[in-house]
Amino acid sequence: MATRTTVPPGRIRAVDGSMSRLLEQFGHVPVAAVIRRGEDLPRALASQVPAVFFLRAPAFHLGPLVWAVQARGKMAFVHIDLIAGLGKDRAGIAFLAREIGVNGIITSHSGLVAAAKAEHVIAVQRLLLYDDLALSSALSALDHARPDIVEVLPGVIFPLVVDQIRGRLPLPIIVGGFVTEADHRAAALQRGAVAISTSTAELWP
Amino acid sequence: MRTPGVLGVMLPAVRDGASLNQALDLGYRQVLVERGSLLAMVGPLAGAARQGIAIFVNLDGVEGLAPDSAALAFLATDLGFSGVLSVKPHLLKDASRFRLRTIQRIHALDSTGLETGLHSLVSPAPYAIAIAPAVAIPQVMPHIRSSTSAPIWGTGFIASAQQAAEVLRAGAAVVSSARVEVWRDFGGVPVS
Repeated sequence: MATRTTVPPGRIRAVDGSMSRLLEQFGHVPVAAVIRRGEDLPRALASQVPAVFFLRAPAFHLGPLVWAVQARGKMAFVHIDLIAGLGKDRAGIAFLAREIGVNGIITSHSGLVAAAKAEHVIAVQRLLLYDDLALSSALSALDHARPDIVEVLPGVIFPLVVDQIRGRLPLPIIVGGFVTEADHRAAALQRGAVAISTSTAELWP
Repeated sequence: MRTPGVLGVMLPAVRDGASLNQALDLGYRQVLVERGSLLAMVGPLAGAARQGIAIFVNLDGVEGLAPDSAALAFLATDLGFSGVLSVKPHLLKDASRFRLRTIQRIHALDSTGLETGLHSLVSPAPYAIAIAPAVAIPQVMPHIRSSTSAPIWGTGFIASAQQAAEVLRAGAAVVSSARVEVWRDFGGVPVS
């Protein structure tokens, strides 16, 4: 596999899943840049964001993108549910953690959260809140999975659900999904989110 | 199609016989069966359908039905329901063969997901597109309108008449809520 031969020496065990580092950096710049396509990456690299979320990344060409992020002192997260070509299972997580060396995994599936934690990468569980039934099942899923971070989508829902999530589990919350204006960012942070995630480059400091 | 289509801007989301009766008592002529066991309330629903109530079923939310042709035939032919909602294009395609109105559900969670949903629009064109959560509609309506002119329904997280009104003002044709208080507040709104 091409990716494997391009892994730099020493890379394989150098997984940095440090939550304290991430939270400390979000304390300065509370924004994660969401990368939807490769051409968005250079702008994220040049920005101050401490974390980059890869959505829809091509699994087997991901290595150089992740390492470019890490070379800038940023942390790289990969959304495994949307990734092309990779199994949504333990082996897929192990590949991202060990071969690519991602800092964290983003998923909406509790089972994958457990697998990510077993690989010592940061587990971000996405709560996809399209109705209040989704909220109640997501809350029980959270109880069960205990991710390191919760990502709540869409952003407009966050004020409506923040107390329920907080009451259930005191986890750091990232707010994403249609966070496209500075107002949205301010509102989320004001309600206690540790960061926002956005593909809107104007919001990357 | 002999069954009635959508009959007003507020679509009460019911989950059992009791909430169905509440909606009908408030004068509604249309309901959405959003979740719960459809089979546990099938008698009252069939009775309502016979009286000309338009009944829509969220196939992704109700329990007791398989996502297949046999279930669709049951809803269309045995029960006389008006339409079905689903995120699954193949299921909607199948539903249109049974002359059910098809309402394609699209989750508006982030721009990537919304785009995926809008790219998966079925043909024949759906009767409507249901955006969930409805409260995202004011933010995403321009994006939706750039790819479809289908009527937009809003479902999910509508907890007040004010939120419902905002969603309608943003251009939705129909908004659904599971809250009786919201149904009451909208009771006076004339049917379109």
